[in-house]
This record gives sequence, structure tokens and C-alpha cells, in this order.
Amino acid sequence: MTEEREHPIEDLAAYALGGLEGPERVRIDDHVGACAACAGLLEQYRAVAATLPLGLDPVPPPAEAWAVIRAEAARHRPPGAERVGTTGRPGWRRVMWPVLTALAASLLVWNVVLQFELTHRPPGPEVEALARRPGRLVILAGTGAPGASGRLLVAIDGHHGHLATAGLSPLSAERTYQLWFVRPRAAPMSGGTFSVDAGGRAWATITVPISLDDARLIGVTEEPAPGSAEPTGRYVLEAKTWR
Amino acid sequence: MPDPLQRVRPVASGDRQEPPDVELLRRMRLGEEHGLELLYARYGGLVFTLALRIVGDPELAREVLQDTFLRCWDGSESFDPGRGRVPWWLMGIARNRAVDLLRSRLHQARLREREPLAAGTHEAAQPDATDALATRRAVINALQGLPVAQRQAIELAYYGGLSQSEIARELGAPLGTIKSRTREAMDRLRALLWPLIEPQREAPDGRD
Repeated sequence: MTEEREHPIEDLAAYALGGLEGPERVRIDDHVGACAACAGLLEQYRAVAATLPLGLDPVPPPAEAWAVIRAEAARHRPPGAERVGTTGRPGWRRVMWPVLTALAASLLVWNVVLQFELTHRPPGPEVEALARRPGRLVILAGTGAPGASGRLLVAIDGHHGHLATAGLSPLSAERTYQLWFVRPRAAPMSGGTFSVDAGGRAWATITVPISLDDARLIGVTEEPAPGSAEPTGRYVLEAKTWR
Repeated sequence: MPDPLQRVRPVASGDRQEPPDVELLRRMRLGEEHGLELLYARYGGLVFTLALRIVGDPELAREVLQDTFLRCWDGSESFDPGRGRVPWWLMGIARNRAVDLLRSRLHQARLREREPLAAGTHEAAQPDATDALATRRAVINALQGLPVAQRQAIELAYYGGLSQSEIARELGAPLGTIKSRTREAMDRLRALLWPLIEPQREAPDGRD
């Protein structure tokens, strides 16, 4: 095994500059978690990257920026923050009910939308399976496409499911979106391709080629149609957490 | 000796010793807005400068600035002391948000529609403190001391938001060449800038 494969030093510099994409980041995260030498070198490279902005001519931010931050901060206190100078109920109680209410409302809206979609789809085994409570839910964020999001609903058997997305841009006929499941130290596996409608939404049946417990990253890339053997485009959606 | 990134902050009034960055984060977690205000006073200017360099649009840079500090405030981003210092973490958040915007089609469409920013459209900066000016010169000199190809690789990655593969395609160079250039550039910058980063420790040499 070459030294570079044993210690991916050249990728550490790129990582510190933000130049690695999903599966490569996962590989480096795994490595530095187990290699103190590389973890130390990565920290040094991060320090170097953080000094780069010091070489820029400083530009002061507009005064209204702080006013906006202060106003928003006053409206949205950190979770668990105690209200300074008050007595009585702890701060967490003050934030708990609004958070639970917002969560319940969002789940209700999601469920209503999902039921609407289900009732307007042709009946079939996959729809019937999804009509039962799905086994797992994966939430994807628009890391490469701000404003986009996705929900991966995996059936109880763990082998197939449905992907619902919003906010992705429609692609030309020569391009397609593709779902990937990434394991450590292995090539990403495709979960299928899909396209979005004019409104930027997709509802696609997908395959789940690996156990979700083995996946370190789940994401969506843009690829040449009809899809690629491995990711070649940047990740537009990536899973943050799943349960 | 304080972190060079901290020297950029405005000089505090009075003789009161300013709390360290991690203390400000602790106060913010407790909901103390004064901690957020102090952190913003220290690094808001640098975050905005970095964001503007990446997105090239003052309104978008302001969005990045606001988003960065609000994500620190509401706990969307959590600081891990094992992965570096607070200013590095802040710059990382800001850069990632700026690159996200840079990649968005909306931003690209806006840039296509707008005229390039004219010189002098920004509010004039206050004169730098002596040590901040020296720091900036040191970073500029270090970058200018790199071979053009290495500096290009650094800037396309950090400010351009391009992956190594995208840089290779952009420059028509093999991916391995780009990785080597990037690593060599970072090693040279590390050697040159280490007195700024860790003035109490000797500069690391080669592979650690």
C-alpha cells in the first residue's frame, strides 16, 4: 500500500481548503478519526486556511447587519438558554412548547402533503407499502443547492423506498439527478436516477442497495443522463442525520 | 500571545480584560446577547470581508455575515475545541455559506445581470492597527511568494469554492497535479505563516 493511500496527506490540504466532496470528506473524516498524525496535520492546514482572509483588504460590514442579527437573536434564543434575570419557569420550558408545536405542525403539513401525493398516485405494491408507516426517514439538506431539500422514506424491509425532493432546478434532457449511498472505504452505490418537474419537485421510487446503518453519506448529484457508474458531479443534496 | 485573527478586532475601551472566545460561546449558549455582540465585534469585519471576496456582492455578503453569526447563536453550528480555534471555525462557517451562495443558480443569474462592482462602492475602512497591517502584509507576501500555479490552486479552492476535480477540469490539468500543487502550496504557507499562527512554537517541518 502506498504511503498516500495509508496517509492521504495530499487530500488533507484540499480538505482544509474545502476542496473535497462528500465521499472524499467521509474518507478523510474516517482516517483522521483514527490517525493522530494526520489529525494534527489537518489542524495545521486548517490554521493556514483560516489566515488567508487576513490578507484581504478589510471591508467593514454595513451597520444594518448587526441590527438584523441582534433582532433575530432576540427572537430566537438558543435551545436551553436560561432567561437571564427571571424567576419561575426554567428557560427550556419556555422554548420547549413552541419547538414541539412547530415540529408537530411541520409533521402534520408533511403528512397531509404525503397523503395527497399518495392518493393521486396509481395504486401498487410500493404505494401500499409506503402507506404503512415507513421504517426509516432520511432528511437531505441542500448543501449544494441552497433552498433545496429532500426526504428519503425507506420501507420497513430496508431495500426500497421513495425520495421526495423540493427546490432542485429542472435539468436538460442530457442531465439527470442520481441518488447515492456512500460507505466508508467503498465505492458509492447508486439508488437510482430521477428528474424534477417544472416546480422543482420530484417523487421517485428508489432502491436502497445497502443497509442505512452502513451508510456514512446519502446524497444526490447531477450526472449525465441516463446516470453514472460513480458520482461525477457535485452533491446538491446530502443527508444530515437519519433515524 | 493572542491568535492573530483576534488582533483584527477593534481595540476595546477601558482596561477591562476581554474574555476569551470560548467564554463568549459559552455565554451565547446561555442566551447572553452580549456574548454574541462581543464575538461580532471581534470577527464580524473579517467574516464580511471573506464573504464579499467569495460572493462578490455586498448584499449577499451581508446575508452570509448574518447567517454565520445567527447559526452560531442558535446552535445550528457547534464549536469543537478539538478541531481548532473559534476564529478558524467562524471562517469555515462563513466560507461554506458563501460558497453555497456562489454555487446557487440564483447568484449566478444575478451576477450575469449586474455590472461589475465599481471601485469605491464600499464604505471606506478605518485605518488598520499596526499589527493588523503587518499581518496582512505577511499573508500577502506569503501568497505572492508562491509559484503562480500553486497560488491559483489555493485561490480557486478557497475563494472559488471549487473541488479538486473541478479545478483540474478548469485548468486542464491532471487531478494528481492539482492535489500536489495544493499540498505544496499549503506546506509553503504553513512554513511562512506559522509565526503568526503559533508564535510560541517552532514551525513544523515536512510531514508531522
